[in-house]
Amino acid sequence: MTSPAAHLSAVRVPKWALAVSLLGLIVTYLVLQENGLALGASSELLHEFFHDGRHALGVPCH
Amino acid sequence: MTEHPVTYKSLALRGIAAGGIAGVASALVQLLVTEIPIRAALAVEEAREPAGESAGHSHGGEEELVSRGAQIVGGMLGVVIVGIAVGLVFATAYALSKRWFTGRTPFSRSFAFGAAVFGAVALLPWLKYPSNPPAVGDPETVNYRTALYLGVVVAGLAIVWGASWLAERLRAQSQPVRVTAVLLAVVAAVAVVLAAFPAPSDTIPADMPVTVLWQFRLSSLAQLATLYVGLGVVFGLLIDPATRKAKAVGKAAVA
Repeated sequence: MTSPAAHLSAVRVPKWALAVSLLGLIVTYLVLQENGLALGASSELLHEFFHDGRHALGVPCH
Repeated sequence: MTEHPVTYKSLALRGIAAGGIAGVASALVQLLVTEIPIRAALAVEEAREPAGESAGHSHGGEEELVSRGAQIVGGMLGVVIVGIAVGLVFATAYALSKRWFTGRTPFSRSFAFGAAVFGAVALLPWLKYPSNPPAVGDPETVNYRTALYLGVVVAGLAIVWGASWLAERLRAQSQPVRVTAVLLAVVAAVAVVLAAFPAPSDTIPADMPVTVLWQFRLSSLAQLATLYVGLGVVFGLLIDPATRKAKAVGKAAVA
């Protein structure tokens, strides 16, 4: 059976793909959950700037 | 298949594009829908604080760090950035998936994947720890609440992975039996997660109107659905060769 996805399972995922994905997760963390854990006090500006988005996406806040 | 080979890079770029588009759509939902209860919640918060005092978290009080206007724009920008970042991770997971509805078209795989991710990282945490507007959370417990929230997200993703694994294991069964078995297993796993995680630690303050609270929660859910299901749909559109084929046929018909 030649499934439509057959050619997709042949996608070769390079090692740097995992680094790229990790970067994506870190960015998500910084935007949604930087409460000072990673960047310390300087993060407060970031925290306040993204404030509404964090609430809206349902992430715990305050 | 005579398709040109699909590379990881092409999938990743489409993931970024799809995430950006879904993020913009979700940010628009925020501007037009979610901001309404947020504004109402901020009014509750402002009415609470005695003049001149701030509990270290400014929402447009007198000593604001970021103005309300900037918070609205920043919030929307944040949603778009999250969309792009999640789109990239989504594309990588898609490229790595070896058994996720392999018999279907790329569009239908991507759509189903987006819906599953929505269930795992948005709907399930929302059911256990419903989103709260400003003026509800206790700053003292934010790290505890965050850890629990992330725990539910990880559990949700594990359920999706497990469902896909189980479906593969039951390949020999007929489709109705297989689908029923996987559904039952997912329901059981969701019930276990909802029961095992501790109840939300937030007590809803008495001055928060229940209509504002739920308007916010439902708006938040709509926005999350736009982001994740939208990501699956747009990514599917971008990667499915059928999209381009139909366009080519359409052009030929016009000419």
